[in-house]
Amino acid sequence: MAEIKGYNMPDELYYHEEHSWARVDGNKVTVGMTDFFQKEAGDIVFVDLPEEEDEVEQGEVCGKIQSRKWIGKLVAPVSGEIAEINEDLEEDCSLINTDPYGKGWILVIEASNLDEELGNLMHGVDTVTEFIEKEIQKAEEEKAKE
Amino acid sequence: MVTWRLFKETSRSLTTAEGLAIDDTLPWAVSNLGSPPILHLYTFIPSVIVGKYQDIEAALKLDRCKARGIEYNRRSTGGGTVIMGPDIVALGFGINVDHPGLRKGVAGVFESLSQVLILALKKVGISASFRPKNDLEVQGKKIAGLSAASESGKALLFHTSLLVDFDVELMTDIMNTPLIKLHDKGYNCFSQRMTAARWELGRNMQVAEMLDAIQEAFEEYFDIRFKADTPSAREKAKIQEFIDTRYTQHDWIFSHKHPRSRMGIGQLKTKGGLLEIYLSLSGGSIENVVITGDFFSTTENVQKLENALKWTSARPEMIEKNLASVWEDEMIYGVDVPTLTAAVLKAKENQVRL
Repeated sequence: MAEIKGYNMPDELYYHEEHSWARVDGNKVTVGMTDFFQKEAGDIVFVDLPEEEDEVEQGEVCGKIQSRKWIGKLVAPVSGEIAEINEDLEEDCSLINTDPYGKGWILVIEASNLDEELGNLMHGVDTVTEFIEKEIQKAEEEKAKE
Repeated sequence: MVTWRLFKETSRSLTTAEGLAIDDTLPWAVSNLGSPPILHLYTFIPSVIVGKYQDIEAALKLDRCKARGIEYNRRSTGGGTVIMGPDIVALGFGINVDHPGLRKGVAGVFESLSQVLILALKKVGISASFRPKNDLEVQGKKIAGLSAASESGKALLFHTSLLVDFDVELMTDIMNTPLIKLHDKGYNCFSQRMTAARWELGRNMQVAEMLDAIQEAFEEYFDIRFKADTPSAREKAKIQEFIDTRYTQHDWIFSHKHPRSRMGIGQLKTKGGLLEIYLSLSGGSIENVVITGDFFSTTENVQKLENALKWTSARPEMIEKNLASVWEDEMIYGVDVPTLTAAVLKAKENQVRL
């Protein structure tokens, strides 16, 4: 478990630059949104998800997430077939806020090209720390200009 | 100096399909055609537009819309229902999220664009402020609402409606809001919660004057100049595609029917007086809430509390947490956060399907 600049970014996960995470278990990849995303977006009020058995490509927008009046993107971290959707989110999207790596998981992908695609994701404390620091720095730079 | 594009329509009001299709084309052009940021300033014909994920049949009285000739449609950005018309500024803005000068993140983008609109209102003599997270207010009364969506690539679509004038009677007639049950109190409740530029200025301000002020405010804030422009041939084709496949399609307009769009009323006698809560729920989220009763408070404080709950989770612990996040001593005299939470939960318990 790694806490980076106040954000919980578990070591064992893989991360896409659009703030989705991937937990690999054999060929099944559980997907959710990071603690960084949920803290930054605020209260999640709606999720618009694909259907089970839909095919998705790595980097493709496969769902939408509304936080207050903003509609953000859920980007598939790997390619494959949607194997499962977290139906609990229909009742309570705030699980993404309260437990982003647990009950707030969003969907499971049966990966089709895992070995190759994992290399395109961020993994490991050093890489993820660098990414989070850059995201924070970008935000602070614009704020400082005002 | 950097030049951005301006689509400014002052000769006529647009249909909802036209206006929304042009707006959706803005981030598409930024992302796919390498266009600089585009600002679209215009007005709609009398109409009402719901947010991307609202249940339109729960949000509106469609029979009243039809009877009064009010067009209805669904936009591609988030948030709630907005009444539009020739006296309400419609703003669409397409920009890359990484564009210099635009603050980062959801909150940052809303704050940047709010600053532009606050500057525009200042130019016409209105002192407005940002009401976190998504509205602009004048002394506690909402004058503009902001919504956004991340679109293809890094592009962002930003929507604003800004009231130059407003027909409260129309709103109460065509919208299913928690206030409908308030009958004659309804008008007063809306009046206390909203304002418009003409009401603030006490003069018959023209929409064109507000459009000019917004244009100037963008130029000043981002240190750019606008070039008056119209959509290119490729953009026109995309606009038509959005009209044909989205904004004239029943499947788009009536998408997202929530099995659990509900409204409830809760009453709780407290040391500070009677709390009466009107609540609209969509799935597990609060879409709208009105706090009334015979307690002692200010409009500004009540609105701050209402706003802390709008578009948030309806879970009890989240309601309490969100109220606590804005709570100040004696915001409602004789009432505390747990008591107010209990009143909101009563409204949740009494919910009925809309």
